[in-house]
Amino acid sequence: MPELLAPIAGNVWKILIAVGDKVELDDEVIILEALKMETPIYCDDSGTITEIRVKEGDAVNEGDVLAVIG
Amino acid sequence: MSRKQTPLRPYFEKMPGIGKELREGEVRRSQENLALVREQEELLAREVERVKNAGIPAEKIHQRGGMTIYDRLEYLVDDGTWCPLHTLYNPTDNEEGCTGVVNGIGKIEGRWAVIIGFDNKVMAGAWIAGQAENILMVTDMAKRLNVPLVWLTNCSGVKLMEQETVYAGRRSNGAPFYRHADLNHLGIPILNGIYGTNPAGGGYQGISPTVLIAHDGANIAVGGAGIVGGMNPRGHFDAETARALIDGTRAFKGKAPGRVETHFDQTAYFREVHDTEQGVLDGIKDYMRMMPAYDPVMFRVAEPAEPKLPAGDLDMLLPANQKRPYDAIQILARLVDNSEFMEYRPDYGREVFAGIAKIDGFPVAFIGNNQGIFPDYPAYAEGEYPGVGGKHYREGLIKQGEFVTLCGRDNLPIIWLQDTTGIDVGDLAEEAELLALGQSLVYSIEQTELSMMCVVLRKGTAAAHYIMCGPQANNNNAFTLGTPLTEIYVMHGETAAAASYARRLVKEEDAGNDLTPVLDKMNQMIQDYQDKSRPAYCAKSGFVDEIVPLTELRNYIKAFTGANYQNPRSITPVHQMLLPRIIKG
Repeated sequence: MPELLAPIAGNVWKILIAVGDKVELDDEVIILEALKMETPIYCDDSGTITEIRVKEGDAVNEGDVLAVIG
Repeated sequence: MSRKQTPLRPYFEKMPGIGKELREGEVRRSQENLALVREQEELLAREVERVKNAGIPAEKIHQRGGMTIYDRLEYLVDDGTWCPLHTLYNPTDNEEGCTGVVNGIGKIEGRWAVIIGFDNKVMAGAWIAGQAENILMVTDMAKRLNVPLVWLTNCSGVKLMEQETVYAGRRSNGAPFYRHADLNHLGIPILNGIYGTNPAGGGYQGISPTVLIAHDGANIAVGGAGIVGGMNPRGHFDAETARALIDGTRAFKGKAPGRVETHFDQTAYFREVHDTEQGVLDGIKDYMRMMPAYDPVMFRVAEPAEPKLPAGDLDMLLPANQKRPYDAIQILARLVDNSEFMEYRPDYGREVFAGIAKIDGFPVAFIGNNQGIFPDYPAYAEGEYPGVGGKHYREGLIKQGEFVTLCGRDNLPIIWLQDTTGIDVGDLAEEAELLALGQSLVYSIEQTELSMMCVVLRKGTAAAHYIMCGPQANNNNAFTLGTPLTEIYVMHGETAAAASYARRLVKEEDAGNDLTPVLDKMNQMIQDYQDKSRPAYCAKSGFVDEIVPLTELRNYIKAFTGANYQNPRSITPVHQMLLPRIIKG
């Protein structure tokens, strides 16, 4: 199942989806904050959000799984 | 059989393609950004409309059988070539809402010219505050680009009620007469179409250009009829002197001096006189055909071509949210011919891109800020912090300096696409010599004889706004553009508020005081920074020469490039250029 990974280390600023949401390719789903910049996370596949592994305010490292698309 | 080709064809005919089409999802999620850009554009359009309607209504001029400055420009300038500049410029917040001159760059009879005229709706083209600086910016541009300056003079002279704002000082309304002399000295012709009554300052505005073409109702003179008639006040006015003034004014039948009977029939200052306003403009067109201009084929390295990717995408690609990164090469791909770019040292100094593109078939250099986060960069901060797009680091500064120097050698005009938050700071940055390398870039720019154009795509901040050929590069920067998303300030308002009040907060807390008053001041400061960095404010204050919709940037880039190659002072034979060879390796 496709996983959405953190491209950089930072904090989870906003989660724009919930488990069960249908998403499409290029939808913006999570926004990370690092170095005073927002880094939006986009879907690289279509499907349904089956799992969200972070919550707003969490610190994440590069490569961490943020969410899973089923 | 004859055979012809463009020079260095293997390098320039087909260069590496850049950019990619937007996917459906990218378009979908960019609609909010599009709406924010439109909102700014509409706000700016209302401001432009306000300036165009300054002074008396155009209908009044039309009822008198006259043309407004806008009618004159419409008649004079080749269709589709007009690029207005300084439209919202009004640094002293005049009651007129503008500086009383309308200017820009455009083609007349197929040749580029810097064009300026008095707005005859605004106090009959009077000298008003801020106008001299506007005129000086325009004369500087003609000098930088080495193209003719075309004046449409219609100038009633000093707004006497506010003479202290225009008459005296180093950069006052008298300075343009010296600038005209300077341009003539440098071999840059000034063509002047003269309308209406032009006394005193208006007279020198009339006489100082190279070629004078008059409407038959026009006059130019050292002084106006009132001054010639003479006044003898006692140092004040009372009922008796007022009576004399009223009677004298009623009885005054004199005509304004310096009419066509004098300056065409007797002195022969005017080369032509026309009985229609259009005739004057036709006369300017005739002279424009005589102006020095190479055929573009002389300098083109390929056939002109539009970008392969649509300009309309720009409003979706450049984020209105200043904290969002984007792909700067996607922007460039929508500005340059065929969406092609020959990049200089792409693996070195990753925070900036530099290279050669084509505009209208001419070779042009571009330098700009890449955006995003660069892990394991810069080398001097390894393990401490990653590089952030928009900032400048050691390698990027060195790359820009050497690229500019090579452009100077190859005579490549440079277009800077600025979106910068500054130069890296801190002990590591100082040890990495960033202070000196920033100034070294300034030195490199100044050492060239190149024309440069700057576009502040979003942020112009800190010293980085200066070193990337901002308008402070007086000898090289031909003009600077902003976009509907431009913000220019020394630093972000939040940073400035923290820097200004941090110690005060500590003191107040130590004293056991309520922090609210200080916090209010900090928040007011943030708001003030916001209000005084927006696009309309930047244009009004002269931080940029014009705010231009992203979709119209290429028109200005084409104007800059075309003007630059029209009559260059220095030529590098294309087949002797170094940069393309260095890039190829």
